[in-house]
Amino acid sequence: MKKALALLLAFAMIFALAACGQQAAPAPTAAPAADTPADAPADAPADEPAAEPAPVEENLTEVQKIIKEAEGMTMEELAKKAIEESNGQTLYGVGNSSRGKSALPLFIEYLQTIDPSYNLEFDWQQPKNNKIFDQLTANSTKATGTFAVTLIQDGNQIESKMVQTGILDTFIPKEWAEANGVDAATYEGYLPLQTLNKVFMFNCTGDKVFDNVWDYVAEGEHGQFMDIDSEIVGKNFLYMLTAPQYAGWLKEAFDKLPAEEQAYFQPTIDELKGDAEDLGLDENGAYALAWIKLWVGSYNAVTDDGPICKNLTDKSATDQFGLLVYSKLRSIEETDSSSVNNVKVAAYEDGYEGIGGYGYCHYMFVPDNSPLPWTACAWAATPPTRPSRPAPRRSTATLRAALWTAN
Amino acid sequence: MNSSATLVASPATIAWNKVKTFFSKPYNVILVLLGIVLTVTTVAPIVAIVEDTFKIHAGTIDAHLTKQTTGWTVVNYIDLFTSKLAKSNLWKPLWNTVLLSVGTCVVSILYGGIFAFLITRTNLAWRQYLSSIFIFPYIMPQWTLAVVWQNLFYSTKITGTSDGLLASLFHIYMPKWFCQGLFPSLMVLGLHYAPFAYILIGGIFRNMDANLEEAATILDTPKHRIMFRITLPMVKPAILSTILLVFGSAMGSYPVPHYMQLTTLSTKYVSMNSKYTGEASILAIIMMVFGIAIMLLNQLSLTSRKSYTTVTGKSGQISKINLGAAKYVLAIILVILTFFTSIFPIISFAFETFLPNPGDYSFLYTGNVNNLTTKWWLTSENVTEQGMYGQKGILYNAEIWKAFGGTLWVSVCCALAAGTIGTLVGYAVAKQRRSKWANYVNSVAFLPYLMPSIAVGAALFVLFSSESVRLYNTYTGLIVAGTIKYIPFASRSSLNSMLQLSGEIEEAAIIQDIPWIKRMTRIIIPIQKSSIISGYLLPFMTCLRELSLFMLLCGQSRILSTMLDYFDEMGLYAFSSGINLLLIITILVFNTIVNKVTGASLDKGIGG
Repeated sequence: MKKALALLLAFAMIFALAACGQQAAPAPTAAPAADTPADAPADAPADEPAAEPAPVEENLTEVQKIIKEAEGMTMEELAKKAIEESNGQTLYGVGNSSRGKSALPLFIEYLQTIDPSYNLEFDWQQPKNNKIFDQLTANSTKATGTFAVTLIQDGNQIESKMVQTGILDTFIPKEWAEANGVDAATYEGYLPLQTLNKVFMFNCTGDKVFDNVWDYVAEGEHGQFMDIDSEIVGKNFLYMLTAPQYAGWLKEAFDKLPAEEQAYFQPTIDELKGDAEDLGLDENGAYALAWIKLWVGSYNAVTDDGPICKNLTDKSATDQFGLLVYSKLRSIEETDSSSVNNVKVAAYEDGYEGIGGYGYCHYMFVPDNSPLPWTACAWAATPPTRPSRPAPRRSTATLRAALWTAN
Repeated sequence: MNSSATLVASPATIAWNKVKTFFSKPYNVILVLLGIVLTVTTVAPIVAIVEDTFKIHAGTIDAHLTKQTTGWTVVNYIDLFTSKLAKSNLWKPLWNTVLLSVGTCVVSILYGGIFAFLITRTNLAWRQYLSSIFIFPYIMPQWTLAVVWQNLFYSTKITGTSDGLLASLFHIYMPKWFCQGLFPSLMVLGLHYAPFAYILIGGIFRNMDANLEEAATILDTPKHRIMFRITLPMVKPAILSTILLVFGSAMGSYPVPHYMQLTTLSTKYVSMNSKYTGEASILAIIMMVFGIAIMLLNQLSLTSRKSYTTVTGKSGQISKINLGAAKYVLAIILVILTFFTSIFPIISFAFETFLPNPGDYSFLYTGNVNNLTTKWWLTSENVTEQGMYGQKGILYNAEIWKAFGGTLWVSVCCALAAGTIGTLVGYAVAKQRRSKWANYVNSVAFLPYLMPSIAVGAALFVLFSSESVRLYNTYTGLIVAGTIKYIPFASRSSLNSMLQLSGEIEEAAIIQDIPWIKRMTRIIIPIQKSSIISGYLLPFMTCLRELSLFMLLCGQSRILSTMLDYFDEMGLYAFSSGINLLLIITILVFNTIVNKVTGASLDKGIGG
């Protein structure tokens, strides 16, 4: 465990520095409002890593040229280009979320309002266990790739594996740029299509209450969480806890704990003070390290947020908790055993202390060898339709310090 | 002109004539061609993955440590073997892998071997039914038993999830070691491979000369002595074969340890591949080294098999042990056991497809039909709500049916290619059994089977993703991978049967100047029809449900097994259960057809 932690921390330093550097100026998507619905489309440019300097025009690839042209077009002009390009064809897409699969029919419906004869088949892949980067890398070896578009998460890997290597290109829709007051030609970021919020939820069929972020790493607790090697944004979340701001929040929450609960955590915090110093963290760094260590050593790895949600909403899961995407609640069908009323979002409860979850973006990219670049751009420019979601029971308490991006 | 002059051929002419003579024999042509092809198909992926361990991968640990984004380095080796994480990234998974492989061998041999003994050497009741039902776990994808295990034994109290069937219906809470980790992994894999042991050991028990045991009985030898000094030594080669095959298969299994939360080299490969790409490739190489070691052991066992020549011709006097009243008691125990390993999973899969939420068994204790649904079958629209995630019901889901078609296409092509190449290898090696080249071809054809599937998949992924090959996410790539991996089924089956075929039969035809094609199609193939069909059928069956080999080579919707895995990962157990049912029915239908047409069947030692 110590060794794992040591390496985790070493990476934490590197990536947190990189991530923090990129997030120094909090952008609207960096800290969505507490009551922003999960998965809501980002309404402003995200604080994503700086993109590579724009290539000189004569060095642009074919797809980059199309993107450049598309960035000056209105949505309707793009839609016409898409119809011309892809009518009767099959669009292959790949993404971390099933949202692509559910949004594509809406895009097709939109194009059919312009040309009723338009038809597009689609095949949406959702690779698990971080295989999306392998798929896109393998796809990039072909002159004309299979995938037309991708909806992908984890800015750190996107930047190092996809953007710097020239595998993916960013397209900035004209309307989106205007709405957010940016210039596509000079904008150095990605296109955030949606923000997902992972929040701590607990089964409330018993008496147990989780009202402090340290409750999740208390003795005997085993929160359900997607494994950090399976979904790397979870690891990014842990890296980012070492940043001074978040470490400070952890310290504040720790101070609010009763003395007997503090006594349980204190030895771990003391033990890690030296490591925090070695890693150059600030005076609260040891609190972050202690929380990370206890979390990594205790969480119960589950393959996806879907099964976590299903587990927690079952009435038998009394006092269990998990850290999962909030929108998974809409997958639950009410029965005698399962109900969304069996869970509460911890940070929505009155008196909650500390961090209530984290958010991260899904970015839309066009592969540099996309077979349908116009269609990909048109889809990116179309306002995504938000599916309805169950109204959460939430307290009036604000979600202070609850969410930040783990891009 | 000097008519008495002796014509002396030049050395070049002599060499040319030798070459012509050599290639005039079809089996030599086969050996040379297949030797080259199989060397390339087996060695190229190995070379590709070895190369990968020295490559710098952008955005991974090697790029971080070398401060470069491209180029070559040995830092992956240094970091994997000497860093602070060596224990958690290498040694612990390696130890767990060895324990899992050994444990799986023990469980499969004990369960399969005892079952084989009871079926073939005793008068156990309901033998035919038991024999057929016993092979079901081998037919099903291996991780389905793992999912069933979770559904049965998980509980809120112990595993921190919702209650499984035992906990919700009977309030029985199994301990954690029983629910997760090594024990359930080796039990699930052991049960999956037990039919393998049954097929191999049962084959020998069936054909064993009972005279030896009877002679010992006449000499008043105690029963335990007969068992340990006569019976077991006679089945020792089959046990050894089972160990060799099961060890390699268990080592390369990804889904079972993944679902049972055991860290092995396979699961570590997948989890490390994103950030420690080069080091993950080293793990694949370590698994391959085990495969090669197993092959060498296999060679040793083949050379030492002479000492087991007690298995001779059939005596026709197979005496069955009379179990008395125990024949029903034991049969009932086996019926119950096989119910849970073979029947219950199917019922469970079928039931799962009618649950409103995955694993929501409220119908069972409320009796309320509102706690059941047909949405997983009958939804005909793109629905995001209620757990459908944009998927249509199974009956309307074009992706599932397309993947089903893809699976059939890949399986048929793999079976045809592997079956044909394997049969030719078996024929040519049998003809030239003393040739070193023939032995080499035989070994190189068998090697991929002994290499863990995930390692072969990883090596082929690296190869197929390269600019020169570009077979990633194509059916062609899957067919190539499956063919390489499954040639051994056919080559072993073919070699064993060809060795029993006297050379005189073909020689008689050669004297009559019958062409080779005609000799094969009119003489050799008809005589060895049964084992040759086995060589086609087993790759087909295995390919239908293969995941570890294919999971790195294509996207989820190409074939059913990757789609099944996707749904299981997502927790959409209704879809995965429906696909499981589809696969089981398909295999049973094909098995029945082949059984009716040819008389061959899995439980009678197909491909063994």
